[in-house]
Parts: sequence; C-alpha cells; structure tokens
Amino acid sequence: MPVFPSEEWFTEVRDEYNKDPSLHSGGGGACDTVSGLEISDRFFRIQFEGHQCVDIHESSKSDIEDLDFVISMPEETWREMVEDIQANGKASALLTLNSIDLSSEESIAYSPVDDQYRQDLFYRYNQNFQDLMDASARVETSFE
Amino acid sequence: MSEEEGKTTAEPIAKPTFKWKGLSNQWDVKVEPNEHGLRLGDLNVGIYGEVPEYWEDQTRRPRGSVSRPGIPPLSYSLRYKHDVWADCAADLYEEAIQRQWIPATDVPWETLETLPEEIEKAICQVCTEVSQYANSEIEIISHWQDEMSYGFHEVKQYLATVSFDCARHVEALRKRALSNGGGLGIESKGVANRMILQSSGGWTESVAYLYLVRGTYVFHLIKGLHNSAHNDAERFIYKHMLQDHARHLTYGYDHLKYAVTHKDGQAQVMATLLAVGEGIMARELDTSLIRPAMAIIFGEGVEGAKTKGMDCYLELVKDFVADYVEICNWIGVEKTGRLNPALQQYLDL
Repeated sequence: MPVFPSEEWFTEVRDEYNKDPSLHSGGGGACDTVSGLEISDRFFRIQFEGHQCVDIHESSKSDIEDLDFVISMPEETWREMVEDIQANGKASALLTLNSIDLSSEESIAYSPVDDQYRQDLFYRYNQNFQDLMDASARVETSFE
Repeated sequence: MSEEEGKTTAEPIAKPTFKWKGLSNQWDVKVEPNEHGLRLGDLNVGIYGEVPEYWEDQTRRPRGSVSRPGIPPLSYSLRYKHDVWADCAADLYEEAIQRQWIPATDVPWETLETLPEEIEKAICQVCTEVSQYANSEIEIISHWQDEMSYGFHEVKQYLATVSFDCARHVEALRKRALSNGGGLGIESKGVANRMILQSSGGWTESVAYLYLVRGTYVFHLIKGLHNSAHNDAERFIYKHMLQDHARHLTYGYDHLKYAVTHKDGQAQVMATLLAVGEGIMARELDTSLIRPAMAIIFGEGVEGAKTKGMDCYLELVKDFVADYVEICNWIGVEKTGRLNPALQQYLDL
C-alpha cells in the first residue's frame, strides 16, 4: 500500500486522475503548468498538460527556479486533506486547497522567483490540483 | 392589368468575378492542432503572428489580411502595442472560453438555508455593491474596446470574455440576493466606480484603477466571502468568481508591467495616477457599506461585527494594501514608503 507522501503514492493518484475524465472538472478547463508541492521537508515536481497530469516525481527544493508556483503546507495539513478525501470521496468544503489558502495568514502558494504572473496561476488552476488530490480517494493509502 | 402586363423584365444576374482570387499576404498556411487543440495563440505564424508596435490601419482589417483601398478610417485611438498589450492575452482567452460556468444550473442552489436576518441583509448588501463593481467593469471595457485597433485582436477577444465573466458575476450575485428570503440592498455611492469610469487618459490608466487598485481589493473581498460562505451555493459562486477574477487580474497586472517596460515615462505617469487612485480607493473603503456588511458577515451578526467582525475586515484591507504595494513594485512602480497616507494607515494597524 503506497505511503503518503511518496512518489509511488502520487504516481498512483496521477494514474487514477488521468484515466477518468469525470475527474477533470477543474472549472472545466485545461491546465498547463510545471509546479511544486512542498510537504514539510519533502518536495515533488508536478507537470500538467491540458487535462492530464503528465509527470510527478520527488525532487529537491534546490531545483525550483523554473516552477510557476509551489504549493507549500506542513505535512499535517496535507495529511488532514488526504484523510478527509479518503473518508468523503473528495475534500470537504473547508479542506480544499482553495479554502486552506484563503483561511491561511499567508498564501499557501508562492513563486520561487517572485513572479506575480506565475504565482497568479495558482488561483487560476488550483481547482485542477484539487481534482488531482481528490483522485486519491481511489488509492488505498498508508500514512506510516 | 393583364398577366402579360404584370411581368417585369428580370435584372440580369451579375457574373461572378474572381479577380480577388489569390489575393493574400501569405498563403499555404496550415497550422495544425497539437495536444491542446488549435489555440488562438497557435495561429501566430508567419505574418499573422507579427504584432506591430504601432498599427497604422484605421479600419477593421483583420491582422494579416489584404488591405482594401478606399475604406473610410475609424476613430481607433489605441494604436500602440503598449496601449493594450499583455503577452498572456491569447492564453487567457482560451482559458476563459474553457472555464465557463452556469449560475442557473451549476450552483447548488438547494443548499441555501435561511440565515439570521442581519446576516442575510449583510450578504445582500455586499451582493448589491459587488454586482455594481462588475457592471462598471463591463462598462469601462466596452468603452475602450471600441477604441482598440484590430492589430491587437487577441486583447480585444480576451476582453470580450471578461465582459461575459462580469455579466455572469452580476447574474450570480443577483440570484444569490434574491433567492434566500432577502433582496437587493442600497446602491453603492460609487466612489471607485466613478474613478474607473471617468479615467479618460487611456486604457492603461483605466486598467491601473480597475485592476491594480480596485481589482486587488475585490480579489481579497471575494476571498473573504468564500472563507465565510454559509453553504455550498455561496462557496461555489465565490470560488468560481475568484477563478475568473484571477484571470482578469493576470491580464491587468501583465499589461501594466508591459506598459511600464515598453513606454518611456510610463512608470512616472503611473505613480501619479496611483497616488490619486489610492486616495479615492481609501474614500471608497471608508464610505462603502461593504465595510459594515462584511464586518457583520465575519462577526456572524451585529454584535460580533463590533469586535471580531471589524477586526477581520480591517485585516482583509491590510492584506489588500500589502499585496497592492508588492504588485506595484513588481510592475515597476516603487510603492514601498510612498503610499498615500490614507491607505498607509491600514498597513500600520
């Protein structure tokens, strides 16, 4: 059973997401970005092309200057979201990336090179990221 | 009249002429779709992708087509690329076209529940004023669209989607106000609306007021509304408004950065405009009923509004001003330490 967070876990989630178009609501639109997911001290690069998540792999935070934005949250917040998705089939209203961002003092997304244009992509695309995370409802997950 | 007399001689049908055939500035163009489909920006190949610094033509001639002698000029005043351009316009157009939503059927209206009257009144007041913001956005865009040359068709097309987004925001907010036992509130004093609608120095000036000054505030306002949504219907509306508005701001900020970096003296002009705009925006913040209404929403009632609610609202405004300063700096108009005192006071809270 894949462990959250790990490359194996994200790969399974990605496969679930890619194979089911009903998961691609995301506001109805394509998403083109190379971004990062920061989970405490773990770092994952993620690439969307159109309605597909074409790549996600573990990386290091030293290699992020080309990324549009990074979604950064403590592992416990990510885990709370994933557990909620596992329990409810998708994130509850107050545990979506959007809601967590809006209720956080600082935005959970940042641009590694302080590029406002690229950081704004988070607000345009976060529903696609949410759909991807919601696909984890179909992946049996271990947290240990 | 006899049948014979009633017959008229038919005009001969003109023979088609094919002299126009082959008149093209560039033929044999075959743009093929890629994995994203066939996007507007993909068509910018050969001469069709040559976006001029200055568009000489004063007609509706599509960029790249053959000019026809004798077409009377039209009064397009925005003919420099730096007057309108943002590199992201074509992509934003595609994104906007794909990400439409339908308030009538997509919003889970059945999740609305009766709220305490003071909260319902506050929500309806915010819906009233924010819908006026959206209406003023449509008006100012429509005004300037008329002035934009066809050399920059990506921007004209993109702005058409913004008008439609705003119409949808007006629709959704009106529906929210009229579907839960309340009604529309008092119309806005329109301080910021007037600032935007009366900005006559060019589209860039309007963009500075519409998106950088007021739009950045509206973004935080919608975030605040989303954060305190009472049901899934409200949450859906605000979430989608936020996504639409993020696109609008992306164009706005990108255009302002383009104008500042491509037009001599634009940074200084912008600094002057913003100093004026900040004072007017501060007056909007002081006088708009959104302030007490949001305090009631955040405070979950009139009592809570006096303490926690108003604190939350002032925090929202502080975040807006902090963001505004940061974005100005990114655009190339240094604002740190140069803010109008009427806005600076929110940062000092």
